[in-house]
Amino acid sequence: MLRHIFRLIWNRKRANLLLLSEILFSFIVLFGVGTLLFTFGQNYLLPRGFAHQNVWRLNISAAQGEKMPRPVLDDVLRQVRALPGVLDISLGSPNTPFRFLTMNSEFRHGNRKSDITDRYDADDRYLTTLGLTLREGRWFQARDDANPRRPAVITQNLREALFAPGEPVLGQLIQPADQGFQATGQEEYQVVGVVENVRPGSDFSGPQSGMWLRLVPYDTTHWEGAAVLVKVAPGQGPALQQRIVRTIAGVTRQWSTEVRTLEADRLDKLRVTLAPLAALAVVGIFLIVNVALGLFGVLWYNISQRRAEIGLRRAMGATGRGIGHQFLLETMVLTTLAVAAGLLLTVQFPLLGAFGGPPRVYGMAMLLATGVVFLITAVCAWQPSRLAARIQPAAALREE
Amino acid sequence: MNLAAAQPSALAPAAAAAPVMLRLTDIEKVYQTKTIETVALNRVNLTIGQGEFVSIMGPSGCGKSTLLSIIGLLDEPTSGTVEIEGRPVTSYSDKELARLRNEKIGFVFQSYHLINDLSVLDNVELPLLYRAGVSGKERRRLALAALDKVGLSARTGHFPSQLSGGQRQRVAIARALAGGPELILADEPTGNLDSVMGEEIMDLLLTLNRAEGVTIIMVTHDEHQALKTERVIRFFDGSQVQ
Repeated sequence: MLRHIFRLIWNRKRANLLLLSEILFSFIVLFGVGTLLFTFGQNYLLPRGFAHQNVWRLNISAAQGEKMPRPVLDDVLRQVRALPGVLDISLGSPNTPFRFLTMNSEFRHGNRKSDITDRYDADDRYLTTLGLTLREGRWFQARDDANPRRPAVITQNLREALFAPGEPVLGQLIQPADQGFQATGQEEYQVVGVVENVRPGSDFSGPQSGMWLRLVPYDTTHWEGAAVLVKVAPGQGPALQQRIVRTIAGVTRQWSTEVRTLEADRLDKLRVTLAPLAALAVVGIFLIVNVALGLFGVLWYNISQRRAEIGLRRAMGATGRGIGHQFLLETMVLTTLAVAAGLLLTVQFPLLGAFGGPPRVYGMAMLLATGVVFLITAVCAWQPSRLAARIQPAAALREE
Repeated sequence: MNLAAAQPSALAPAAAAAPVMLRLTDIEKVYQTKTIETVALNRVNLTIGQGEFVSIMGPSGCGKSTLLSIIGLLDEPTSGTVEIEGRPVTSYSDKELARLRNEKIGFVFQSYHLINDLSVLDNVELPLLYRAGVSGKERRRLALAALDKVGLSARTGHFPSQLSGGQRQRVAIARALAGGPELILADEPTGNLDSVMGEEIMDLLLTLNRAEGVTIIMVTHDEHQALKTERVIRFFDGSQVQ
């Protein structure tokens, strides 16, 4: 019977093309949705690489036209650090985790070039304030003041991009990827440490290459604002936030301060990330429902067009149930052909390394798409096949 | 043996006192809708002997095709009994009826009912596809033998759309023959053909009946064709009148 069905499908290849295309299309859509879902799921399960709980972000701004002299800034930091409930404090660039603010560049070491890499400024306390995890070397220290080159700490994935496995990294120099960096006055950076990968984007984003450059205590008189991270004791809340604001105002009334938790930033980012994801999921479901309805319609139409054939097969000795099974089998064979074509297309993603996704994610998405497509086509074919099984052969034969 | 080339007149008629192939007793068929009741068959009693060639005649809508559907186990009577070779089949399950249709009965239709997407050979193989224990090789052999009988051995790879009406009906007859049935039900087999083609098909059926002893029940509007058969049964308004 299977050979007969293959022959029938082959001889009806033009008529079956629409159905095959629909199934293939739904497979591709499901593969896309599955790839996104598994990528997000896999990212979600990865370590974040830093501890954002109980870390607050202070945005200190000088009044319009005012600058931030170093002694005043030092005094502010000293007084905030001294507040009860404050465990640590550090100065860095404003692109703290979860913010809609990035600074990035590409870097080079020898012949190797990195992808787009997040670039941060950080002082000597930043490691403990943000809870980064050192893998190799050390964080910035006072002795780096004597280093003529700017010290850098890089993430593990940047290390893998710029250095061969096992190649020593500490003390090595990294340059901006721009060929003319020296001509434009850009510096070289000396790697002093490597930290675990970080995911500063959102709960669902993947590890991002990162490099921290030491924020050396240069003259700050040209600064108009400062980004400060504060690690507080668990359970601290608005009362401490108000004390911090009052403390800074006590040092200088020319500066204003915004205090915000990194957790609040995370939730903001999550909302913005989830909105397009939810929209994509709705579009995906809409497409799948459309494909399912289309399949249902095509199969229904197919059966109504083949009533005489059904009557004939019953006359030749097919049972009603046998007719139902034949139509179900035909749909499953068509599905298998469409899924095989879909697999042939989608397997190119891991083979060609498209979009940099891990092969495991593509494999799982292919499995998901295969399973759901078979389920959808079986469900869509079920009712029309039952209908075919119930067609009265005598009536069907009289119709033509 | 190529039956298409044989001369029917040279063959001996079926024995008069043949054993009973089919017996219908008090068959009634009523189509019921919410507002109307239509009596298609009214207390039909009919006995067909093995090897007989019977034609059923009557005006359109008199119940001929309904009777053929009931005989062919494609439809159930509202009341009455159908016996094939002495066994009542009224209480048979769908599966048992399908097996009986497959093994005992061959169908020939006015509009051929060939599957256009299958080759001539595949069409003829169709009844054997539903028979358990027949290998692909055996199916092919039986189908080729049936096509040889109707003189279409050279057309096995053609599709129905590439054949004339007469050739299509020959394919349909080969399909009816392929399973080696004891009874062929032909519903106006020459109705779509011109007189020459019609004669050819009629000769083929007569030859089958006489040479192979196949029982044939044929519905026809053509008095000339009907008179060639051993017995003519006439219907009017759902009742047997002769």
